Amino acid sequence: MKQPLTILDPLDAHDPSVPTVAFRHLAALWLQITGTWCNLECTHCLNASGPNDPWLKPLDGESARRAISEAEELGVKEIYFTGGEPFLHREILPLLAAALAVAPTTALTNGTAITEVIADQLAALASRARYSLEIRVSLDDVDPEANDRVRGEGAWAKAVQAIERLHARGLLPIVTATEISSRNGTSSIYERFRDFLAGLGIERPRVKIMPVFDLGRQAGRGTEKERLTTESLDGFDPAVLQCSDTRVVADGGVYACPILAGFEGARLSTGSLGASFRPARLYHAACVTCHRTGMSCRNA
Amino acid sequence: MGGVYNNWLALDALLEDARRRDVDAVFCLGDMGGFGPHPDRVFPLLREAGVQAIQGNYDESLATGRTDCGCGYTDPRDNHYALVSYRYTWRNTSTENKAWLGSLPRHRRIELGAYRVLMCHGSPRVINEFLWESATPDGLIRNFLAENDADVILCTHTGLKWHRALPQDQHLVNVGVIGRPENDGTPRVWYTVLTAGDTLQVEFVPLAYDHEGLARAMEAERLPSEFVETIRTGWWTTCLENLPSRERQRSRF
Repeated sequence: MKQPLTILDPLDAHDPSVPTVAFRHLAALWLQITGTWCNLECTHCLNASGPNDPWLKPLDGESARRAISEAEELGVKEIYFTGGEPFLHREILPLLAAALAVAPTTALTNGTAITEVIADQLAALASRARYSLEIRVSLDDVDPEANDRVRGEGAWAKAVQAIERLHARGLLPIVTATEISSRNGTSSIYERFRDFLAGLGIERPRVKIMPVFDLGRQAGRGTEKERLTTESLDGFDPAVLQCSDTRVVADGGVYACPILAGFEGARLSTGSLGASFRPARLYHAACVTCHRTGMSCRNA
Repeated sequence: MGGVYNNWLALDALLEDARRRDVDAVFCLGDMGGFGPHPDRVFPLLREAGVQAIQGNYDESLATGRTDCGCGYTDPRDNHYALVSYRYTWRNTSTENKAWLGSLPRHRRIELGAYRVLMCHGSPRVINEFLWESATPDGLIRNFLAENDADVILCTHTGLKWHRALPQDQHLVNVGVIGRPENDGTPRVWYTVLTAGDTLQVEFVPLAYDHEGLARAMEAERLPSEFVETIRTGWWTTCLENLPSRERQRSRF
């Protein structure tokens, strides 16, 4: 019988010598709405999401609404829904509506649950909302076989169908790809995706490229043993790091970073969002990647 | 006004329009350079007219010798064009004018009637923060106003004008830019006239100028044809990947 996966923090999560990043302001609230519950099981998943016994439980609707309300008072600029797969959450549409009443809102999805009906409902939500609704659809390669080797059989077709359904309703999805299947000697992954979307008839292609992190199912394949030190931050602007202006509400508390949600070393509060406004610890190998690439999980 | 972007022809037209309207003062919310040709032509106009300017991210970069404009783009294509523009402006801005940009304040405060007005480039907290209409929550505006003891915040940086009035007569106004058109399919640019009476009146003013003359000057300077196309058609061709979906839906590209 398949046993559940448990993700553990590195042993040095509480080492007092690790550098920290001061909190500046709340630019982004992330809701890890389905925890690590997903209908796909991608080989590079940042938080090892999958269909069996999620190691990080989904958030209940009331906790999410409470976080949205508190974030509004605290002057949040934008709200994100992630997981797992957010569209597996039974309350996802009313929760998106609640967030859109407060701030521009983004949902990250693998596209598998974007049926014609859901696409219609998202278009209706977007047209009623005061703020922008963004849908980010994950796709890792423009080639179906290469994509499905990473994301699972049939994932490419469903994601592309979702992109086309959203585009047909004017929702301008942002296609998000990791560099997992980047191939040397060809045009850049960014250009390949833009060309691919143009080929689908999408005249305003929106593409976001993310690095692969040594985390989740990729743990141990890169920077696993590297750590940031106080010296490595000399001359570095910590405002570049999203943990300076981002907080993540997930099962068990408020965390510093979307990809470390659920890890005790990244937890800053077990209660209110406001209580998490304190320095975040750069204790994880994933922090090395953010420091090196300057990447952000945000749309732009 | 905001975002001159080297467009001395639009600046000249604006100053003439403002004189005709007999306004009390002219303020510029920064980013004198970028995009257009002949950067040094805007500075004499600004100084002779007594324009009270603040620093934008472009001005800060030029003054401090940064290697990029600090516009805050994250898209590779946007960053490519931003770098082309910045390198041109850097090469063609005099040392004296770079120093002048360095002398500008980051914020200005005025009292307009009973309104306490704070001027900034991007946002009160970050010089290159984008405040788009569809992506700026009321709660954020309320926090900005409370933290800065202001009734009105004026900003620019995005290139798109908008105004939101909150209850209790509080306001955020993005004044737009005069350096490039508004991504609306016309070559006109926009500035803003504020008048304090019983209420705050915010008038967005369209400005026609010799955009064809600017386009020809850009071609002569071998600036990217994509930039020239924007000046002629009014549609943005570059630096638009960070538009939120609502604003991007109105965009041609």
